[in-house]
Amino acid sequence: MLRSRREFLHQVAGLGAFAFAGNNVLASTPSNAGRFVLVFLRGAYDGLSMLVPYGDARYAQIRPNIAIPKPDGTSDSALMLDDTFGLHPACAALLPLWRQGVLAAIPCAGSPDKTRSHFDAQYHWETGKPGSSSPSSGWFNVLSGILQIGKGVHAIGVGESSPRILSGPEPVQLVGPGNLATRAGALAEPKTREAIMELYAGDEKLVNALFEGATNRASTAAMLKPTTASDSKEQQLANNGAGSPQGLALDAKHLGILMRQNRHLKIGFLSSGGWDTHINQGNVKGSLASNLTNLSNTLIQLRDAFNEPNDLIVVASEFGRTCAENGTKGTDHGHGNVMWLLGNSVQGGRWHGRWNGLSTDRLNDGRDLPVHHDFRGIFSQGLRRCLGVPQSKLAELFPGYVWDSTMDGLFKKG
Amino acid sequence: MTKPTGLVRLRSMRLVVEACVLLCLWGCAHAPFATLSSAAGVPTIDPRGSAAEWRAINRLSYGPTTKLLADIKSTGRPIDWAFQQLDAARLASLQPPLLPDDLASINHSLPAIFEGARKERELRAALPAGTMVNERLANQKRFDFQDQTDPLYYNRSQINKAVAWRLASCSDDALEQPLLARMTEFWFNHFNVYQLKGTVRPFAGHYAINVARANALGKFENLVLASAKHPAMLYYLDQWLSVSPQPERAGQSARGLNENYARELMELHTVGMDAGYTQEDVRELARVLTGWTVSPRSPSGFQFSARQHESGNKSVMGQKTPSSGLYIGEKEGEQAIRFLANHPATARRVSNRLAQYFVADEPPTALVDDMTKTFLNTGGDIYQVMAVMLNNAAFWDPNNRLYRTPYDFACAAMRTLNAGQDRVKWLQAFDYVNAAGQGIQNWQTPDGYSFNASTWLTPESLTRRIDFALNIGRNAQERRDLIPYLSSNTLQAVIKRTPNQKMGFMLGSPELVFK
Repeated sequence: MLRSRREFLHQVAGLGAFAFAGNNVLASTPSNAGRFVLVFLRGAYDGLSMLVPYGDARYAQIRPNIAIPKPDGTSDSALMLDDTFGLHPACAALLPLWRQGVLAAIPCAGSPDKTRSHFDAQYHWETGKPGSSSPSSGWFNVLSGILQIGKGVHAIGVGESSPRILSGPEPVQLVGPGNLATRAGALAEPKTREAIMELYAGDEKLVNALFEGATNRASTAAMLKPTTASDSKEQQLANNGAGSPQGLALDAKHLGILMRQNRHLKIGFLSSGGWDTHINQGNVKGSLASNLTNLSNTLIQLRDAFNEPNDLIVVASEFGRTCAENGTKGTDHGHGNVMWLLGNSVQGGRWHGRWNGLSTDRLNDGRDLPVHHDFRGIFSQGLRRCLGVPQSKLAELFPGYVWDSTMDGLFKKG
Repeated sequence: MTKPTGLVRLRSMRLVVEACVLLCLWGCAHAPFATLSSAAGVPTIDPRGSAAEWRAINRLSYGPTTKLLADIKSTGRPIDWAFQQLDAARLASLQPPLLPDDLASINHSLPAIFEGARKERELRAALPAGTMVNERLANQKRFDFQDQTDPLYYNRSQINKAVAWRLASCSDDALEQPLLARMTEFWFNHFNVYQLKGTVRPFAGHYAINVARANALGKFENLVLASAKHPAMLYYLDQWLSVSPQPERAGQSARGLNENYARELMELHTVGMDAGYTQEDVRELARVLTGWTVSPRSPSGFQFSARQHESGNKSVMGQKTPSSGLYIGEKEGEQAIRFLANHPATARRVSNRLAQYFVADEPPTALVDDMTKTFLNTGGDIYQVMAVMLNNAAFWDPNNRLYRTPYDFACAAMRTLNAGQDRVKWLQAFDYVNAAGQGIQNWQTPDGYSFNASTWLTPESLTRRIDFALNIGRNAQERRDLIPYLSSNTLQAVIKRTPNQKMGFMLGSPELVFK
């Protein structure tokens, strides 16, 4: 990716003047491919609080303080989805999507690797290589190389400075958290850019990073230029801090705008922390409930931005939490967890895959949800449907993965 | 700066070492290894020239203040200067920090800090329902603490002061020995706590000073023990709530075991994931540590609650515990921690992390081997491990590049501008590190920040670094003494700038974005 100084100056200088006028041309690129958005909840969210297995009597027994009561028609209980599961009342905004048949859950999904380390598990999820701690590119970065849909950058992350999933040789767009994303910075000034280029002449790494950074910052800031009266609200949200479930909603809004305006961007990454609920996680109300409210609001917002036929939004966490509550009214690190899919092509309004209940002999190590469905199998189904990624390329993306045909019903026929 | 004569004296003092005849790690209550080596020894290599000076000053301090640069030049051999820094840092670590008066409350006694937090809680509980408490009020005065702190904002002001101290201590050599500031960052990060977690808030500054700083160049096991017993860590990883699940021990509230701390103690603080322990080991270690909790009234902030401790036999990584009647109760946990802290897997892991921080993202195996060996031979004496690192050619090898993290860069900028006492600059630095994703003492998870280039040398963050450099360097006085250390390309680029931009460009140069 060595770039000549002239090429750099030409391209960067062009940005301010006309690059964004060209967006409509890009936007009209004919393609029935959708866009793929992953919302990753760092810290292991408690899936059994969001998708509530009230139909299993053991649920209430092993969670005396933190269980969500079974549906009784009030907002102090789970919202009924079927005889087995309910939805946390903090996620009421998602119920219409479930009923419209565009939202689905997979209750026992995850990584086949048994680690209970957040950091190892996140690494596995983000490299697409469970069990391997060798240095590796993130699978969004690899996928970005596989897509090759014309020119341009295909992958974008909003919020984190350098998430593993996007790291690697392919250029990606990284956007700052909250309202930082809207500032163009000193390099928006052409003379300053040129002078910094000269300062870095001879250091290829710095030159390349500068080129990419200046380009992205300028285009991001131009696209997100505040245009509506809701901006002060936006700033309030941002002040709560990105990386938090509250900050997630603003980052999601930015992701939607950026991916709408630049149709080369096909895969988007969002994340939030604050899910590691070892103590006092609450039940119908409490800290986890307010995180779930924020997550629901984020998903509603994403649904507005990604509602084309093959767009897909996936929600996942590195592993699940213990089925039983611990000694401090929270939950410890577990194994399998609930994944969510949202999109018009999703066979929604139902859950998919195996569910064997909560009796001890059906659990992993007698304490956690088992992983019946490898996350790579679920992503593979989604990528095939949403982006048309062929099987051969999926094998490149997730080496050693085996097609999970039990998940073939995840999407509507078509 | 310590004069060479002082250096020699200090070294010989360290010849007084404890001897311990017990070979079994587990059965040993205190420093388990006989250390007969002659302290740090004498440097055997002699890297010279401006490149060696530049390396030493940027890696052992956060960057070249005018005074420190003159100091290294006048010392003659950069390696001698490096060893002086190490000795001075160790000496300083044994003294209380030179906190500015208005930051003193972060280092008050622990009972006083507990009391401050209790008062805030009480005051807030007494507010009429629906009163909005505006945390931003306290924020606006972030780095000006001259007036008395409003007790309603005690926790918030403790955080702000703790952050201010990290900015002051990395940039002002009159307040802190420069290498000790670096070591403090390293150990805080290794035993990371998240200062915004509710109960941790008032303690983060005290933790940085009394755990990371005070033990920075001592025995590693003492560092682990200090963090294990500090309220910041007890709160952060929920250990304070973890009590025996034995039914007859369950108290009024139905509390029980919490594995959080035990897991991270093994995974992150000591042996690491590759050491081959199991979930069962984590659980057993959690049992060993039941009853370790906070004490608002004790000077240490810690108490062992025998009533909540799970008695009976456990086994951690093959070690039966209690190993004897001598090691029961609190001693059982201390013994387990010493075992983990002195484990060969810990020695390698800690050595490797130190080498990553000071030498290269992927340090040479031979260097890590040497450091590991010294770690094991000296019972985890961090001072000795550092000395081995400094006396290794890899430390001085220009091919071993390191890219500065945002915090590192912010400190380097303040130092290069000789602006360590300028609180307006602290605020600029504070805003920059937050925007760049490395807020001070602000990493939420116990793994701490990464320090490598693949995390921080990214396009987006490089542009933010340039913004910061140009802003903080605007109109600053040019540092002509840096000229011998800058490449001709950098000098050419700088010379063309208007006077108000020259320092910004120097700060943004490859010589200072790397170290």
